[in-house]
Amino acid sequence: MLVVATLLVAAVIGGLLRAGLAFPVPADQAWPGRAVVSHAFLMMSAFIGTVIAIERAVALKARPAFVAPLLSALSGIAMLLGFGPVAGWAAVAAAAAFIAVNGLIVERQPAPHTVLLLAGATCWLVGNLLAALGSPTFAVVPWWFCFIVLTIAAERLEMTRLMRRRRGAAVALYACLGAMLAGAAAFALWPVAGGLVYGLSLVGLAAWLIVFDIARRTVTTHGLSRYMAVCLLLGYGWLGMAGAAWVAASFGVPARDAALHALGLGFVFSMMLGHAPVILPALAGVKLRFSGVFYVPLALLHGSLLLRLVPSGRLDIGAAGNALAIVLFIATVAAAAIGWRLQHPPRPFRHAAPASD
Amino acid sequence: MDADAAPYPYEGPGDLRLPIERALRRVVDPEIALSIVDVGLIYGVTVHDGQLALRITMTSAACPVTDVILSDIETELDAVLPPQLRVQTEVVWDPPWSTERLSARAKVFMGW
Repeated sequence: MLVVATLLVAAVIGGLLRAGLAFPVPADQAWPGRAVVSHAFLMMSAFIGTVIAIERAVALKARPAFVAPLLSALSGIAMLLGFGPVAGWAAVAAAAAFIAVNGLIVERQPAPHTVLLLAGATCWLVGNLLAALGSPTFAVVPWWFCFIVLTIAAERLEMTRLMRRRRGAAVALYACLGAMLAGAAAFALWPVAGGLVYGLSLVGLAAWLIVFDIARRTVTTHGLSRYMAVCLLLGYGWLGMAGAAWVAASFGVPARDAALHALGLGFVFSMMLGHAPVILPALAGVKLRFSGVFYVPLALLHGSLLLRLVPSGRLDIGAAGNALAIVLFIATVAAAAIGWRLQHPPRPFRHAAPASD
Repeated sequence: MDADAAPYPYEGPGDLRLPIERALRRVVDPEIALSIVDVGLIYGVTVHDGQLALRITMTSAACPVTDVILSDIETELDAVLPPQLRVQTEVVWDPPWSTERLSARAKVFMGW
């Protein structure tokens, strides 16, 4: 967990420096410079990739499955230490191991959402391979986003099974995701056409999620369920805006920061803030006492993103707000863990251990 | 035994059936704001020879929160069961979960 936190901190510092923020960093060390250059790799492949791979390894309940997040975390550390090629190929090995893990999950439960997870893992491998082979970051980033977006889409598809699915819904989703893959593949050679298709696919996916996701129903409940739904719906809004920004950027409009960060922060981090209260207990073994305080970092994240991305906004102040939102969220989680422990003092447990087939 | 009255197959003392069902209904998946009973995750409960055996499934094999749900189940059962009764939970994937297992209440909530 310490390594994962280190990757997040390094990626955030790299992002702040890229945004032009005068952030105090040790002048005699080289890692801040590497964090700036490798911000996308550290955030998307090393940090988020490791977290997703841990999630899947916990789900599979097989120790070898932890090889994927271990390699992924090591790739991030190697990058910070200046071993770029080692980092690149460790990331490739991590993604290859992660494909194997997802293959086992498909075998356990052959279903559209598990196949989509496998497709997402394959995108991670493609992105990492391109990066290891020296492709420019602008050609790699769409594949890393495909990995994360397909993973989220797969998880939401699993949830939408709870609702009566309208005819054509599944086909519409696969069309959006297929277009996203086509856009990512085309982006390196034909940036205009690739960016256009990629952006339109994101807009389509946002519309699909708003129409079919259970969040529109669970937002009417209360407590943690409502908070999660708010995170999801805000994220879908940013996903649509990110799509529009990708389209605009492909036609030369200076919207690249919006295209990347509406997607990475507005959509992906909103999903992470929403799911952390449920996922963290599974990954770290700590339970959280949910309260309305969780809305504070969420509001700061979205407010600062708005400040960052509106045409007359401030990139540096917005980026600082984004980072502060992440720090505030971590503090909120820590306080919630302490709150839960105070409410539930340890007591001896008398029952047999669970079994699994 | 009164299996028809329970939302899942139940075998065991009649006086434990309702406390067990109420305890399981308190285990809620926050993502969907429904109890594990309403989602239809419980495949069966048997109380026999000083042990409660519970068979449960998950909607997704890729879900990492299985152990959290099992822990919540044990915590809730712990509060209502006689102290000498042990709890054994088992996660099964066959038969796979389907929407047919949703309760009437869950279907109304989800707009069926």
